[in-house]
Amino acid sequence: MSVWNYVVTAHKPTNVTHSCVGNFTGPQELNLIIAKCTRIEIHLLMPQGLQPMLDLPIYGRIATLELFRPHGETQDLLFIATERYKFCVLQWDAEAAEVITRAMGDVSDRIGRPTDNGQIGIIDPDCRLIGLHLYDGLFKVIPFDNKGQLKEAFNIRLEELQVLDIKFLYGCPKPTIVVLYQDNKDARHVKTYEVSLKDKDFVEGPWSQNNLDNGADLLIPVPPPLCGVLIIGEETIVYCSASAFKAIPIRPSITRAYGRVDADGSRYLLGDHNGFLHLLVITHEKDKVTGLKIELLGETSIASTISYLDNGVVFVGSSSGDSQLIKLNLQPDAKGYYVEVLERYVNLGPIVDFCVVDLERQGQGQVVTCSGAYKDGSLRIVRNGIGINEQASVELQGIKGMWSLRSATEDPYDTFLVVSFISETRILAMNLEDELEETEIEGFCSQVESLFCHDAVYDQLVQVTSNSVRLVSSTSRELRHEWFAPAGYSVNVATANATQVLLATGGGHLVYLEIGDGLLTEVKHAQLEYDISCLDINPIGDRPNYSQLAAVGMWTDISVRIFSLPDLNLIKTEHLGGEIIPRSVLLCSFDGISYLLCALGDGHLLNYMLNTSTCELTNRKKVSLGTQPITLRTFSSKNATHVFAASDRPTVIYSSNKKLLYSNVNLKDVSHMCPFNSAAFPDSLAIAKEGELTIGTIDDIQKLHIRSIPLGEHARRICHQEQTQTFAICSLKYNQPSAEDHEMHFIRLLDDQTFEFISTYPLDQFEWGCSILSCSFSDDSNVYYCVGTAYVMPEENEPTKGRILVFVVEDGKLQLMAEKETKGAVYSLNAFNGKLLAAINQKIQLYKWMLRDDGSRELQSECGHHGHILALYVQTRGDFIVVGDLMKSISLLIYKHEEGAIEERARDYNSNWMTAENNFNLFTVRKNSEGATDEERGRLEVVGEYHLGEFVNRFRHGSLVMRLPDSDVGHIPTVIFGTVNGVIGVIASLPYEQYIFLEKLQSILRKVIKGVGGLSHEQWRSFYNEKKTVDAKNFLDGDLIESFLDLGRNRTEEISKAMGVPVEELMKRVEELTRLH
Amino acid sequence: MWKETRERELGKLHPNLFSNRIRKTRLSSIQLSNHKEIVSSHRGSINSLQVDLTEGRYLIAGASDATVAVYDVQRATDYVEGDQIEKHKSIFVINKQHDHGHKYAISSAMWYPVDTGLFITGSYDHHINVWDTNTTQVVMNFKMPGKVYRTAMSSLAKSHMLIASGTEDVQVRLCDIASGAFSHTLSGHRDSVMSLEWSTSSEWVLITGGCDGAIRFWDIRRAGCFCVLDQSHSQLGRRPPLLQRSATNKVSTSKSSSSAQSSFEKVRAPQKKVVNSNALKPLAVGRISNQPKGVRQRLHPGMLSTHDRATAHYGVVTGLKVTEDGMYLLSAGSDSRLRLWDIESGCNTLVNFETTRLQSSKAIQMAVSRDSALVFVPCMATAKAFDMWSGQTMQTFRGHYENVNCCWYSSQDQELYTGSNDRQILVWSPPKFTSDETNQRGKGLSIAVDQDNWSD
Repeated sequence: MSVWNYVVTAHKPTNVTHSCVGNFTGPQELNLIIAKCTRIEIHLLMPQGLQPMLDLPIYGRIATLELFRPHGETQDLLFIATERYKFCVLQWDAEAAEVITRAMGDVSDRIGRPTDNGQIGIIDPDCRLIGLHLYDGLFKVIPFDNKGQLKEAFNIRLEELQVLDIKFLYGCPKPTIVVLYQDNKDARHVKTYEVSLKDKDFVEGPWSQNNLDNGADLLIPVPPPLCGVLIIGEETIVYCSASAFKAIPIRPSITRAYGRVDADGSRYLLGDHNGFLHLLVITHEKDKVTGLKIELLGETSIASTISYLDNGVVFVGSSSGDSQLIKLNLQPDAKGYYVEVLERYVNLGPIVDFCVVDLERQGQGQVVTCSGAYKDGSLRIVRNGIGINEQASVELQGIKGMWSLRSATEDPYDTFLVVSFISETRILAMNLEDELEETEIEGFCSQVESLFCHDAVYDQLVQVTSNSVRLVSSTSRELRHEWFAPAGYSVNVATANATQVLLATGGGHLVYLEIGDGLLTEVKHAQLEYDISCLDINPIGDRPNYSQLAAVGMWTDISVRIFSLPDLNLIKTEHLGGEIIPRSVLLCSFDGISYLLCALGDGHLLNYMLNTSTCELTNRKKVSLGTQPITLRTFSSKNATHVFAASDRPTVIYSSNKKLLYSNVNLKDVSHMCPFNSAAFPDSLAIAKEGELTIGTIDDIQKLHIRSIPLGEHARRICHQEQTQTFAICSLKYNQPSAEDHEMHFIRLLDDQTFEFISTYPLDQFEWGCSILSCSFSDDSNVYYCVGTAYVMPEENEPTKGRILVFVVEDGKLQLMAEKETKGAVYSLNAFNGKLLAAINQKIQLYKWMLRDDGSRELQSECGHHGHILALYVQTRGDFIVVGDLMKSISLLIYKHEEGAIEERARDYNSNWMTAENNFNLFTVRKNSEGATDEERGRLEVVGEYHLGEFVNRFRHGSLVMRLPDSDVGHIPTVIFGTVNGVIGVIASLPYEQYIFLEKLQSILRKVIKGVGGLSHEQWRSFYNEKKTVDAKNFLDGDLIESFLDLGRNRTEEISKAMGVPVEELMKRVEELTRLH
Repeated sequence: MWKETRERELGKLHPNLFSNRIRKTRLSSIQLSNHKEIVSSHRGSINSLQVDLTEGRYLIAGASDATVAVYDVQRATDYVEGDQIEKHKSIFVINKQHDHGHKYAISSAMWYPVDTGLFITGSYDHHINVWDTNTTQVVMNFKMPGKVYRTAMSSLAKSHMLIASGTEDVQVRLCDIASGAFSHTLSGHRDSVMSLEWSTSSEWVLITGGCDGAIRFWDIRRAGCFCVLDQSHSQLGRRPPLLQRSATNKVSTSKSSSSAQSSFEKVRAPQKKVVNSNALKPLAVGRISNQPKGVRQRLHPGMLSTHDRATAHYGVVTGLKVTEDGMYLLSAGSDSRLRLWDIESGCNTLVNFETTRLQSSKAIQMAVSRDSALVFVPCMATAKAFDMWSGQTMQTFRGHYENVNCCWYSSQDQELYTGSNDRQILVWSPPKFTSDETNQRGKGLSIAVDQDNWSD
């Protein structure tokens, strides 16, 4: 690691913390707004489902997300408060289709202690004020004026010390809050207060209720006409208002989230800690509440938020598993449940542990995470780029082109695969045994190279060779018509669609043919001043089989020209600049936007937005995909069109949020690709690479590919053993809560390909697996799995006993070789100089692997080091040991061979809490070897500080991308981290020059890219804990820097001017960085 | 800690709650440390203890034999008994022999709040010295009119470097390190000032407690004291009831004139209520405060002190401590009472602390845990931990042979340091349970040693 670090998110947070429903983007549009810790997503509710509209980063951890509608507004505003005491009010600007900031501010105070139970932010239902409970004993009020503008905030003293929940009551003439609190004797009560805006104080409210359920911790205000409040406890639910009090008992459960179903507030969905969804009904006669009823609806992920959308469709946001879109049915299913899952949204959080492995041995890392909690636990395999799952392959050298053809126009499947070589064309087809077999189409000319083939209308096929265009019947396979190139000219390049053929011959001749029933008609001929390098007439207009535009790439003047069809009029010439000729052009449209893509001979790709009516080319962007010429081809997968760019570094181009994205394919050197959707291999691609023809299916098109292995139990630790090709995990399974041993702990062995359990070692009752390691010892060639455990006795606060278990894998079974009892929980295990280093409670202990007289082996303790509060994290390098303590930051120890002892060398005296930094910060320390005094040398100097805003559970060395030797970023060391919110991030150590360059870019970007809600990026990234707040240093925010690539031309030019570096150069340098993840 | 780290891993515990819970469990287990000892370099009673505010590493102690010493509490100087017990010897000691050393007892020793480059001592020899830590030389000296009982600096201050001093004199003087002169003289107390504290929410607010039993609040930007605490004023938490809103509105209109934005201006509101309750004779307090408020006269803040004779304690105010959140003030008096005050309203919260007897002859130094849940108070030869909100005794720390004078709580390590007339500094910490068989022996020994020496 160097001092200069670049932090970037490879996988965005997926843990849904808040959600709300309202008319945000328009008076008639119903939106679902989801907060994923540091991002918000705005979705639009459509008849066919949820349509994502916007995904915004927020410079803060979202503490409150509420929609509200001030008087006189036709649509809702969004109120966001962050954990670092900033708030903003956002409004949708329909014209610009963007979010604008109505108001923002800081609500931090000098006085008071931050609340323990999280921040509370509530908005009066009549929009008179916003209430915030941020510090114990204080209730902050931000009043609205008549015009819906926010006025100056003030604090009101709240005598209740342990506030659990505060809500506004509906239907009160003055804004009234209801407070749920706990007193000194741990009893819980509710109390109401009226907020007197004039006096800036509370007035005693209309009612109160003492001595509630001991587990009561959620209030649900009930809207008019009923009004009042529901108090959700662990064993009872109470409805309470000034005039009524109704209670019902419930099965013991902790309610985590609620969602209101009806506007009149008579029905509520409640999600509990086991993932069960209940419906709570308030029965009433007119405005008088007569009782409560509760009914079990079914099982979902464990909900952190529930939003009722419409027509029985509900969004269930989860922190511990995948979020879901569910439908509530009127009739129960076989299990008696009314819940049907419509859609699942992947959530990696919380990532408790992960390991980086290279299963395919391609030099590309994959991350296997222990994700989810409780019953939603799973393993997730996260891989960068798009994988091809190989179905069949043939050895074939020298492929020059490939096309798939159908046996009839209406046939949904492809039958033939035409493969062209330098002096012949071969045709492959699926036979009855579903094998690929060479066949013949009589009408095709097979002795020459094919330049292009395509299906045509009227059950015909088109073959273009260097001297003719052949039209062949796909049923009889006979030649129906042939067009010959003029004598003396041969066809160089050609393209076709179902009704049109465009070809170019030597001397700059462009010939346009139309396909009729058994007839090829030469419609137009044009003479251009230079030779033509590539062509495309992919239909992007309204007609699926007919293109009104042709794109033509030229030699000599290095330009792309657009012609109209059928009259071949030149509409537009775009000079590409540079000296590299275009090798492939493509007209295509994604998400209703048309693009012209143009690939150059040196591996660069240019893309333009194309206005189909005026043929105006805008938004030029240049990206480097590889170093070899690129061939572009469209294909479709899952009803969406994508472009495959075949080159030395094949890439799939796709669009998301109206933005073009590039994703590597995990293959090398692909020369040609064509879609091959046969009955036997549906939705497959035929890929020509390195003397081989492969047929395979493609993964879902996205940058990071995630595969889920649901376990039904909670995996806590994972490690991989390359020699035995296995994973070992520590997991725990939750049984029925009533059972005596409702938690069971296991060590499981999994196959690293199939991820099936192949062996299980059950741990003792109350014994938890805390750490796992694959290692070998000196003087022993075997590889072992070492597991550290803790006995967690219900009557003990701290584990005082644990074990270290040493397993060997034999015949796919875990064999226990040795065990060693310890005096505490084994929080961490490390291989260290052929020995085993364990962190046991507050102690670091080194064990030797000794051979006993009888040939068996045992662990023998050699030496130790104490003086920690709780040694949670241990890393080693050489003889050095770094210990991350629970609350005493980092210390550096050294092992002295001669004395066989471990000694402390240096320590960071800042009192950072190290559960990988408790306050969502990152920091780096350096050993100060040059220090003048012992005192200075004994200090670890803090060199970098940064607020990540994420709670990191694990750091591992490794990389998610394939390291290519030719790339600049190939040598940059990287560390991957996994967080509670499901973020996978990368920290890269940069060389100093690059750091300085990017730091300058970052500071310019801070000015150009304004944070959502006017939040400051600089403040967001500043290191922050209970004692101090300081600016980030020696860390760069890669997410901000890489957003440079999404900026429009004007703004990139503005930045390039400020940087004094050409736009292209900047683009290139930033793109290089995106290859880090 | 096991459970908390596990829940933290899943993101179920908010960082605040996580660290507070761990601090709390550790705090509840503190006892005479079985692994840490401070080797006292003093030959007189320890009067003042403070760990630096920047790193939480250096403990400064001032004693009656005119010595001041600094100890590194993070890094031990020696290990004894199988590395099980850390001995912390002083890094340096300054005594009477030093050229600029104090002649008489040091009553107050404290760090400059910004860094450990300077420290300040106050002594019965009428001097306040400012020392350079690295050279151990006096860099500044203030001559006071009488014995110095207490000094204090604001840990929040960004715009001033003032040492507030309580002395035999009735006036509180502020010594400015920047200029080397007295910048303020605060008059109001009728007797010497034993204790003082800066507010933890505003750098301009100073709180002083005098031998006249009064606790006064000063805004050093204005003339005079703006609030005097009255022990009989105890209406906290009473809100006007809903039905009588119209009636109460009248009263509170005057109140709303003070802007709620700044904390000290708000504190002024209740003072109007206490203005007329001249509690000269303690017995009359209850009656007078019940009298209908007659003539309301608006008073210049500077004038208030001459009119106001309210008391916080019967007797001397011997100790003051503001909670870290800036909301409460704890005071100790020679009447053997502890009182908890709500700073904003100036109300006595009437928490009944189970004190039996407090030292009355000397100022005492109290400490409060970070979450304001526990308060550590020297109670004769013991130190006690009281629950802040109920006043119950949570723990009694018995170890000293003579009266305890000062407590310092390090929230970073959850350790309590106490200094006593028996010349010892004791460390009270969560027990360190040793975990390895090789050290089993050492552990057994250390417990034996503890029992021999300290348990009673």
